[in-house]
Parts: sequence; structure tokens; C-alpha cells
Amino acid sequence: MSGASLPLAPAPAMAAGGRRHLPFWLGAVGVAVLLFVALRAIGNDYGYFAGYFILQYVVLATAWNILGGYAGYVNFGAAGFMAAGAYTAIALRKATGLDLLPGIAAAASVGALLGLGTGYLTLRLRGVYFSIATLCLAVVLQTLVVNWDYVGGSRGAYIVRPREVAPFTSYGEYLFLVMLVLAVLAVGIARTVEVTRLGRGLQAIRDNERAAEAVGVPTLRLKLIATALCGALMAVAGAPLPYYSGYLNPEGAFSLAYAVNAIAMPLIGGAGTWAGPVIGAVLLGSLQQAATVTISSALNLFIVGWMLVIFVAVAPRGILGWFRKRR
Amino acid sequence: MTRMTRRTLGRLAAGATVLAAAPGLSFAQGSNPLRIGYSMSLSGGLAPNGRSSLLAHKIWQEDVNARGGILGRPVELVYYDDQSSPANVPGLYTKLLDVDRVDMVTSSYATVMIAPSMPVIMQRNMCYVTLLGAGVNEAFKYDRYFNMNVTGDDIRANYAKGFLDVAAKLPTPPRTIAILAVDNEFAQKAAESARYLSKQRGLRIVYDRSYPPTTVDFTPTLRSIQSARPDLIFIGSYPPDSNGILRAASELRITAQMFGGGMIGPQIAAVQAQLGPILNNLVTWDIYSPEPTMDFPGIRAFQEKYRARAVQEQVDVLGNYLQPYAYAQMQVVEQALNRVGKLDQAALAKDMHASTFNTVVGDIRFGAHGEWAEPRNLLVQFQGIRDGDLEKYKRPGAKVILFPENLKSGEPRIPYGAPA
Repeated sequence: MSGASLPLAPAPAMAAGGRRHLPFWLGAVGVAVLLFVALRAIGNDYGYFAGYFILQYVVLATAWNILGGYAGYVNFGAAGFMAAGAYTAIALRKATGLDLLPGIAAAASVGALLGLGTGYLTLRLRGVYFSIATLCLAVVLQTLVVNWDYVGGSRGAYIVRPREVAPFTSYGEYLFLVMLVLAVLAVGIARTVEVTRLGRGLQAIRDNERAAEAVGVPTLRLKLIATALCGALMAVAGAPLPYYSGYLNPEGAFSLAYAVNAIAMPLIGGAGTWAGPVIGAVLLGSLQQAATVTISSALNLFIVGWMLVIFVAVAPRGILGWFRKRR
Repeated sequence: MTRMTRRTLGRLAAGATVLAAAPGLSFAQGSNPLRIGYSMSLSGGLAPNGRSSLLAHKIWQEDVNARGGILGRPVELVYYDDQSSPANVPGLYTKLLDVDRVDMVTSSYATVMIAPSMPVIMQRNMCYVTLLGAGVNEAFKYDRYFNMNVTGDDIRANYAKGFLDVAAKLPTPPRTIAILAVDNEFAQKAAESARYLSKQRGLRIVYDRSYPPTTVDFTPTLRSIQSARPDLIFIGSYPPDSNGILRAASELRITAQMFGGGMIGPQIAAVQAQLGPILNNLVTWDIYSPEPTMDFPGIRAFQEKYRARAVQEQVDVLGNYLQPYAYAQMQVVEQALNRVGKLDQAALAKDMHASTFNTVVGDIRFGAHGEWAEPRNLLVQFQGIRDGDLEKYKRPGAKVILFPENLKSGEPRIPYGAPA
């Protein structure tokens, strides 16, 4: 057992339809197309930026859920992985001039390797010790970036992005579409993990790691796959960040908000299910974005904190868990 | 009850039209306000300067509306709290431009907040007047960018010039210098300038180190500097660490002919109150001091209004740092709009490149890259400081200007560490 006592949404019964991938992918692509078409019809760039903000959290929360939700290993280093992706994109751009899409691919590789390395080094630790180790990883990465002048060091790095990318109406639209595709892929990967042997193995590890190992679950291998996947997706969520803001400094990239949201969103939506992080990210992301432009203050993390308190008290298994319990 | 006839209604309507059009009245009823949008750091690490900048903007808004607005329209400020988080900035400017449909945009305070807004501003070809950025346009090279900062185009050649020029004229010209800077954009540029100019002038650099922004104990660092026995100590630091460095220097009784150079923090009223006599004889970079040489038209009226409201608004009570520049930032927008007479961004940019602006921080012109054509980095010295009472900072004499020559208001006192 991991030792982590995460309140998890009860896993849905694995119906015969649970493995049907085609309807899921068609549905996900359909929703994405609808969303894109709707925003294009509105024709307002702010919609793209707000959408990007929420979708980056869909990817981040989904990535966290693979290790934290399915395997029960709580990762506090989400901001570190995300920043690793952002700085990989910056380094690639500086070294080769390659743009966003190769940057995302490179970020995925670096994130996966970083996740794998972290897994090898820390997976002997369980529960809170593993969590502390991931927190330390973020601190180590930040120290490395602060002292790495090539990517701007403590000064930060500028990315002068093109004003437009054909055939899109604006760069914001292009960024939104990229993040939308990444979100669909991330959720699809998480669902695939959930409904395959990998997911069931991870769930066995979460419930009782020693028992799982005793019955032949290759725990180390599964955990390494999970850390690599989690790292890759988190890094992917961070790769477009410098293109989104045009400038990135270590304080911005390693922001506490990413680490807190990455944990809070799956917990509020329902950890351990592919839909939970999506619900949590859409709910909390929208709330935070609305707070930023309405009451206009730093209430963002305050909102997250209160939501967590409320959900822990009222619906400890998240929104999905609450609904399933009622049924 | 008297019934209103159609004729009476017509007369009333005609009367209302005449009244609304009459000169002397501020605005036509229901006139469309001219909206100026920006993000501002009202919470988070940059909030102290952000909140006081906002007060300066509000005072300008009231002043300009009392004068009849701009282009006959009342001015409305549309601002959002960016929470000192660069990641919030692009979304906020997109909202300002696409949803709120503001007519003009200006910026929040500081480079880290200005830079993330640049791609959005550039995409919409807006004219952009920013506040205290440092070399932002070196990367973007945007021809409609105008920065309210005294550093000018070439920070390396200008920033530490005052410190080294004043040092060169001391009775015993210095031969060695120690350089210490925090790991951030502005302080590193300051240190680079000190390094570059020291080498140019044949000064031997006996200590040259950076420290991470999280440093809290500066005693070992300053002991190390002390052991190198430099004639000059140049520090590039930010508010939390400036306090730590000055307290450590005081406890260790560090002396040098000149100490300071590029410290951000001693310009802020709360720091002045807190550190009191520790500041005595400190020389540092600054942008404004209430000396007779900087008594520009309008500055006193602005500061009176500002100080009257600062306590209530819980912001810097003196307004001796970036606040006049925040007011001047809006004056630039106002004067350009009044000259051009329409909301044509290209024409406004052309005017801003070509014109001189008469502001509460003096007459300014912008250079090719949008920085001040004539840099005006001040080197000030805290003189005769015996306590933390802030009243003295409202009068000349407490923060004496040593550089540049045209604004000089006193002579340097050495060494640092000597009592007042």
C-alpha cells in the first residue's frame, strides 16, 4: 500500500462498454470540435485565452491523477514537471529555433525521462515520504533553472512568438487549439490507463502494494510507467506556457498555484477516475478565471482552499464520488 | 398633478440639449467614456508599488476629468489585479482589449508584468505606455512601446555611471570595488553596468557575487566583502534583501567610501521608517527626490493630493518613488491624445516618438526604442538621518541628489557607516 490515504471516487464497474475506445474518442473529438467552433463563432480572443487557462489545468490535473489517483502516490512536484516542460521548449527554441510543436514533443520526452528518473529514485519511498521527495524535486529543478543562464536564469527568458499562424485568426486561437488537442490526448491516455491492465495494476498498488506484488502485479514496472506518463503529460502542459506569455521567469514557471491546483482539481472532481480531473479543472479553472476578472483580487488560491475544505467535509470522494454514492 | 404635454416635453428636451452642449459643463450626459485599461499588481509581492501606482492613476483621472476629460470624453480606468503573477497578464489584456474594448492600454509596474503583456499588445498594434520596465523592448523591438523609466536605452552604460562618477571625485579616488547582486533581471543588469564601467575606469573588482532571492542571512556574505577591503561596495538588491543587507552591514560596522549603488527598497517610506539611521550616508540609485532641483511643475500639487489619501488607502505615505512616474505615465497618454485628437494608434505612436511631454517628473522625450531619449538615473545620498521619522523625507535635505550634475543638490559625505 502506498500509505497515502486519498479519498477516491469509487471506480465505476468495468462494464463491457468500459473498454470501448472508439465511442470515447469520437465523443471527445466531437466535444473538442464543438468547443472550438463555438469559440470561433463568438470570435473573441479572450475566450481562447480563458479556454487555454482551463485546458492547461485539464492536462495537468489528468497527469497528476495517473500517479496520484490510480496508484495513490501523491505528487507535490507538479509545478516542477510543468516548468521542466516550459524550459525545454525555451531551450529547444534557443538552440535550434524550432517552434511550439517540436517544443511540446521535446517536453514530453524530457518530462517522461524526468518522471522515470524520479520514479527510480523515489518509488521506494511511500506515502508522505514520496510526496516530500517530489516537493524537493521541484525545489532542485528551480535552483537548476535559476542558475542556468542559457535559458535566462533568474532573469527569465523572452519568447518572441509570431503574431499570427496561418490559417488561424490569431496566435491565441492557435494556442487554444494546441492545448485543446493536448487535453483530449491527455484525457484519452488517462482513460486508456484506467480501463486496461495497467490501470487495474495501479489500483491494486493503491489498495495494497504488498498484496499486489504477492499476486504477481509487477509493481515497480507499473509505477515507473505511471511516473513517466505523469511526468510527460505535466511537461506537455507546461511547454506552451512561454509562448502563451512571451516571457517566463522561474517564479512564474514554478508557481505554487500549479502545484496546488494539480492536486485540488482531481480531488474536487473525483480522483481515480478519468472524468474527475476534467470536472475539477473545468470547475475550479472557470471559477478562478471568473474571480480574476470580476472581483479582481488574489482570491484564487483562497477559492481553491475553501473548495477543498468544503469538498473534504461534504463530498470527500469528489463530485463524481458524491453522485455515484447518491445513485 | 400637472400633465406633461408633448410641447412641454419638447421644450424640456431642447433645454437639456442646450445645457449638455454648454461650455463649462464637464461632459455631455451619457457621453461615451474614454477607457484606459491595464492590469495592476494589487495583491502579491508587487502590490505595495502597484497599489500606490493605482492611487496616482486615480488622482490623474480625477484631475483630467475636472479639466473636461480627453477629447471631450470623461476618462474611465478599467483595471484588473494581476496578483503579481505574470501568467495572468496575457488573459487580462485580452479581456481588456476584446471584451471591455478599452481605447488605450497602459501597463502595470515592473518588467515581469510588462513583458507577458507585450505579445497581446503587439498583436493588436496598440500604443503602449509602460511603467518602470527594464529593457523589455530589447527583445520585442515594438515601435509603439514607450517606457516611463529613467534608465534609457543602454542600461549597461548608464545605470552605475552616477555611482562611479561621484566616487571618482572623492578626495581619495577609489581603487577597488566589490559587487553583490540578487539573482533577478534588474539587479543583474545593474551589476553588469557596475562591472562594465569599473573595468572601463581601471577599478579592481575584488568581490563579484550573486545571491538567490531567498537569502535571508547576509552576515557571511558581508563578512566576505569586508575581508576584501573594497573602497566601494556596489549592491544590486530588492526590498526584502536590501533590509537584510543594510541591517547586517550595520551590525558588522562595515565601512567603505561609498556603499549602495543599486539598492531598491530605501526609496520606500516603510523601509525608511524601519531602518532609520542605518540609512545614513547610504548612496543609491533613485528616480525622484523632493530636492529643489526636481521641483517640476505640478509635482507638489500631485504629492499633496497623494499624501492626503495615502494613509487611508494604506499605500506608501510619501509618494517619493514611482508614484509621480505613474501619474506622468497617464500624462503622456493624455498629452498625446490631445495633440493627435483621435484614437489613431499609429498617429499616437508617431506623436509619442516626436514630441516632448511636460509631466510632473519633468520634460521627457522618447528615443527610438521607446525608452527615455535622455537617461536620468539619479544617485542620491541619505544625509543627516538620525531616526525613522518620515517628515524629513517630505522636505529637501534628507535624500540629497549627487548625480546627475544638472539636478545635483549637495555634496557626498563619506564614509558609509559614519554616524549622522
